[in-house]
Amino acid sequence: MTVSVGRSVVRQDADPKVRGQAVFGVDFELSGSLHAVLVRSPIASGRIRSVETSSAAAVPGVRLVATAADAPRILSGLALADQPLFAGDVVRYEGEPIAAVVADTVTIARAAAARVVVDIEPLPVVASLSAAVAPGAPLVHADWSTYRPSPGLPDWPRHDNVVGEMRFDSGGVDDVFSTADVVIEDVYTADRQYQAYLEPKSATAVYEAGRYTIHAAHQYHFNVRDRTAAALGILPSRVRVIGHHMGGGFGAKLDVGLEPYAALLARLAGAPVKMVNDRVEDLLSCNSRENAIIRVRSGVTRNGRILAREFLVDMDAGAYAGDTVFLTSIALFVAEGPYSVDRTRVVARALYTNTAPTGAFRGVSGTYLYFALERHTDNLANALGMDRRDFRIRNAIDAGHTMLNGQVLEDSDLLRAAFDAIDEVAPWETLGRGPNRGVGIAATVWLTNPMPGAVTLRLEPDGSLGVVTGAAEIGTGAVALGVRQVAAEELGIDPDLVVLTMPDTDAHAYDGGAQGSRTTHIVGRAVQHAAAGLRERIFGQAAKLLDSGADELEITDGRVRMVSDPQRTVTLGQVAGAAMFDGGPIISSGSYATPAPKHDPDAATGLLFATFPTPTYHVHVAEVEVDPVTGRVTVLRYLVAQEVGRAINPAGVMGQIQGGVTQGLGYALWETLQIGDDGRYRQRSLEAYKLPIALDVPRVEAILLEHPADAGPYGAKGVAEPPIVPVAAAIANAVADATGGSIVRLPITPDDVLNALESSKE
Amino acid sequence: MEFTSAASVEEATALLVEYGTAAQILAGGTDVMLQQARGEISAGVLIHIGRIPGLVGITGNGSVRIGPLTTHRSLARSRLVLMTAPALAEAAATVGGWQTQAVGTIGGNVCNASPAADTAAPLLVAGASFELTGPRGTRTVVGDSFFIGRRQTARATDEILTAIVLPHHPERTGDAYLKVGRRSAMEVAVVGLAARLTLDVDGTVEGARIAACSVAPTPMRIAEAEEILQGSRMESEAIAAAGEALTRAVSPIDDARATAAYRTRVLPGLLARALGVAAARAERGVG
Repeated sequence: MTVSVGRSVVRQDADPKVRGQAVFGVDFELSGSLHAVLVRSPIASGRIRSVETSSAAAVPGVRLVATAADAPRILSGLALADQPLFAGDVVRYEGEPIAAVVADTVTIARAAAARVVVDIEPLPVVASLSAAVAPGAPLVHADWSTYRPSPGLPDWPRHDNVVGEMRFDSGGVDDVFSTADVVIEDVYTADRQYQAYLEPKSATAVYEAGRYTIHAAHQYHFNVRDRTAAALGILPSRVRVIGHHMGGGFGAKLDVGLEPYAALLARLAGAPVKMVNDRVEDLLSCNSRENAIIRVRSGVTRNGRILAREFLVDMDAGAYAGDTVFLTSIALFVAEGPYSVDRTRVVARALYTNTAPTGAFRGVSGTYLYFALERHTDNLANALGMDRRDFRIRNAIDAGHTMLNGQVLEDSDLLRAAFDAIDEVAPWETLGRGPNRGVGIAATVWLTNPMPGAVTLRLEPDGSLGVVTGAAEIGTGAVALGVRQVAAEELGIDPDLVVLTMPDTDAHAYDGGAQGSRTTHIVGRAVQHAAAGLRERIFGQAAKLLDSGADELEITDGRVRMVSDPQRTVTLGQVAGAAMFDGGPIISSGSYATPAPKHDPDAATGLLFATFPTPTYHVHVAEVEVDPVTGRVTVLRYLVAQEVGRAINPAGVMGQIQGGVTQGLGYALWETLQIGDDGRYRQRSLEAYKLPIALDVPRVEAILLEHPADAGPYGAKGVAEPPIVPVAAAIANAVADATGGSIVRLPITPDDVLNALESSKE
Repeated sequence: MEFTSAASVEEATALLVEYGTAAQILAGGTDVMLQQARGEISAGVLIHIGRIPGLVGITGNGSVRIGPLTTHRSLARSRLVLMTAPALAEAAATVGGWQTQAVGTIGGNVCNASPAADTAAPLLVAGASFELTGPRGTRTVVGDSFFIGRRQTARATDEILTAIVLPHHPERTGDAYLKVGRRSAMEVAVVGLAARLTLDVDGTVEGARIAACSVAPTPMRIAEAEEILQGSRMESEAIAAAGEALTRAVSPIDDARATAAYRTRVLPGLLARALGVAAARAERGVG
């Protein structure tokens, strides 16, 4: 029996967060702190003629105004070194930093920033994916060929506005197409999605004795350290990053934001500098989920076998490569989806445009790739006159399925269990009946991020267990629940006795950040490794106190006791106290990173992200009703069957599923950042950018499928990211079913719904 | 920017005279403070009228008198409004979220005169009149003449709105307000449509009033649609013809919320739906 794992333990950080006592990044302030704001480009593309800072600098209370001339002349970037801190010669997107004003107060800094006069000669704007690859398109980066990948990365195919290109071809694709009974081709598009976390981006930095200390509310503190160092041209060891509570990130706070600016300005000003985005600049400059165009073509036999597939994707990287260039690889893992396809060709490109750089967002790229794949799968089934669910189950992958990268999915038959689990709760043929109603289904395989993590455990004389780790609590409970409960379980103690640290890159070993559902899985494994060593020391010490052999002992309920004589016990606290002057404090460290699954690294070209580790399997079903007058979509029921391995905290997992689905509904039905011909966003506030509200979201009915394997701590695999991935697909399929028409873009607007209804009447 | 709080209508109008175009009346502040923050207005002096006695509340004896400082939340929950003009309660209940409804006022909503003002369309179909008080005394402006342009009303810069009066509510009369937004709440109207019907005992339409918001520079009555319905028995042809007339009468725009084409497209179906609700209420004698 477990003492902690599998229980819906309450979070220790919930109470202070509800009461407003928790100190978030925007709340944190060092004494004597100055405040800085950025002067951002008002246009998407242009040549800077001059930047006039003297009248801003003359405002009382202004300490300094910095421009590109004050920053190291260095290009850097997550994947490709293509981005300066401040635009010096050209601006490439609306919102690109051109200067910064440091002042005694934010109000003074903002007022002075408005007095920085930037003279920019407008240049042609590359505002869309089609414009980026049109013949004779202006180059967003005239010097693209001189750029180099960031340290540690090999270069990849890229040219002109194509900043990344991943190609896979299993061979013989065209021959097989010519033998197919039915060939269907579809084109889909998806708009951008803003991460819209509660807490805008912020950073506070101080420069002291040749080192920078940055206070961050961030997902990935070691990346802040490394990327700040690269932007400033210094060693990572000269940067220390300290974490604070954070109000959400959803991927937008994996790459650096304001941190390098705060660091540079703190050095220039000789005082701590704090920066906080206001909501409008946060929205306009955020590394949102990229917009994309997806072309899918399949050849099938009359009895429903998928013979050939072509999957062509263009993703908008925006003005700089950011991490979107990595995401081209995701197309390789979605092109077939969880279905068997004989022959496949995949080409995924990331394109430069004169728009804000895009980047990671929960379920990176998967949301729109699965939307396209699963809408197309519906079209294949419908064209063959087959039931859409039956068609999927017939083609679903079995155990031992080999992915396009050569990786074998040993447990891929778990997908079939997910189909069955939903049908038990809500039989397929009973859903979507009645006028204007429809049902949609979508299936997904998703990964758990493999990045390394580490932990040191400390047993204290008061019986508490310190869990010292650089892992970031993004708000999901991955640390506050997952890591804590695994640690408590390992020592058989009450989870309330576990004390967690905040990330500090000086004090902690490397952690790969709160991304890709990795933290509970990876850091939980590190905890288990550390706990093995900790137990060894505990038993060794307790054996002396109990006058027994170390192998005759067990830990239960906060005490060490003799297996043969349970009355002979000593508390864990007494053991820690005794050890203090007999060998020293009881500590033990552990590390873990998921070993790369066996695969063929040369399966594709330009493959920057070569494997899909620790996969999980998912089926979503949505039932909707459309309003034939207004075109509004109401989600009546939403069902999820999710393979989790093991739910360390079931309430926490259910929360992640409800949240992921909610974010997916927003993506499917409301949220968009549309790009005008001038390269500027049309939605410029949270009034225009429509996030779902409670009234629009049903209670998600989730079924957790538990198959504890040896992969995770107590079987736990990644759970937080997958629930967003199939949502747009399931909703779009349900709306298409309800209307009898075609849904080819995200978000689905009321106009699209009315058009679909009208087209089906014709 | 200065701030001053008036203790009486006389003091408020005196301040309006003193500061002229620099003055901005502040009631609930849900529009004014945002407009100020966004730089859409640059008031020299904010004249707060929230403490003036006698400007809050809903009273009725035949006609219904609504104080301009009455909040949307109060309107939405007022028994008197729900009995005589439920469309107005429905509209008030859709303004922003609860926080906005708790402080935002009907006087502010109509004087701000947004093309999307939710309460305007139900007030227009109710035949509301607007009582304006200034240095020259008090005058009354009938609904149709109150909204004169985009964010423009008949109120002179030295006047304040002191009451909104809904005339006596005839027998067998019902109304309805339908709002189209992307979400279920927290929305500025993409289209808002109010209808009011007075029915004869045999179901003939004795009186029909239609008004819409977010389809033109001002909230507007749609006389052409009203005339078609007048004397009809709500035959589907009449409703369809009224719907067509409605789409011809409006001049919507494309904006970030919706396209002009979408706004036009939903109107006939929305009208049919609103007329259905209004007719049912007329038969029940509610609203």
